[in-house]
Amino acid sequence: MKCKKVHKKLIFYLEGDLPEKEAGEVAAHLAQCVDCTAFANDMKRTLGVLQIEKSPEVNPYFYTRLKARMENRETAPKQIIGYPVWKKVLQPALFSVLLLAGVYTGFKIGGMANAEQSAQAYAETELVPFLNEMESEPIETFLME
Amino acid sequence: MSEAEIIDKLREGSEKAFRELVDQYQQLVVNTCFGLLHNTEDAEDVAQDVFIEVFRSVDKFRADAKISTWLYRIAVNRSLNFIRDNKRRKWFQSFDDLVEAKKKSLGELVSGNTENPEFDLENSQRSLLLHEAIDALPENQRVAFTLNKYEDLAYKEIAEVMKLSVSSVESLIHRAKKNLQKKLYYCYKKKCI
Repeated sequence: MKCKKVHKKLIFYLEGDLPEKEAGEVAAHLAQCVDCTAFANDMKRTLGVLQIEKSPEVNPYFYTRLKARMENRETAPKQIIGYPVWKKVLQPALFSVLLLAGVYTGFKIGGMANAEQSAQAYAETELVPFLNEMESEPIETFLME
Repeated sequence: MSEAEIIDKLREGSEKAFRELVDQYQQLVVNTCFGLLHNTEDAEDVAQDVFIEVFRSVDKFRADAKISTWLYRIAVNRSLNFIRDNKRRKWFQSFDDLVEAKKKSLGELVSGNTENPEFDLENSQRSLLLHEAIDALPENQRVAFTLNKYEDLAYKEIAEVMKLSVSSVESLIHRAKKNLQKKLYYCYKKKCI
């Protein structure tokens, strides 16, 4: 039997599902092939995990929790009508609209504040009066005082 | 109390009968859910849902059927629904939540026998690998394989639970094993462990 054929039958061999003749052939191959034996051992260990996991410990508080849950369900107020619809459809839609509105407002504000224009306006309205004192306080007024 | 008595009393709303049912079948239900979910907390949560459903729909139970078959069926359906819902939820889950969940499942696997940590670590890695391989199986194959391996159910019983013929179950388990073998061989070649 060749390695490839053995690989295809290995899990069935390990599980004891193969007919006697085929199982014998696989066993004979494993006895002389190191590579296939290594794979067989590896698979045996991995499948062995199933046996370890088989019976998880029984939780002693299982019934108490179950009863508490049943009582909670009975006393819990009924959900708001249409709540899943609100949560699944309207909520994302509302967030999308808000996001789009935010982006739109951002563009609008950004468009208004042109860098060149705003710098010029700032210089005219805020800086010029201080630099050009003559404009704010003519010489006549100064001499009169 | 016999099965018939439990059902009769349950129909009358007896709490004692419900307690008896839970005591008798708790392990069966939790074990079946665990086989499909691979997480103790989730398995217990789903198992609780199973018993609640049983309590509420006991009138639908056919007298000629076995309680265990009915419980297996509900446990399998509930677990599969849980997996589907979880998949959908993952789309909306943040990356942090996903990392946290992965850590939690790893922690649960590693925190076993602390006397031999190396052995524990190897076992947890093998366990993860096996769970991934089982989860990658088509749904029918996964259910048949899990019932056969975790609950040691015979093909005939699995056929009753899954409402299939025995030969279909045989074929499902055969294909499941073949698929698992493929995955395990691929991992062995890539030296996953």
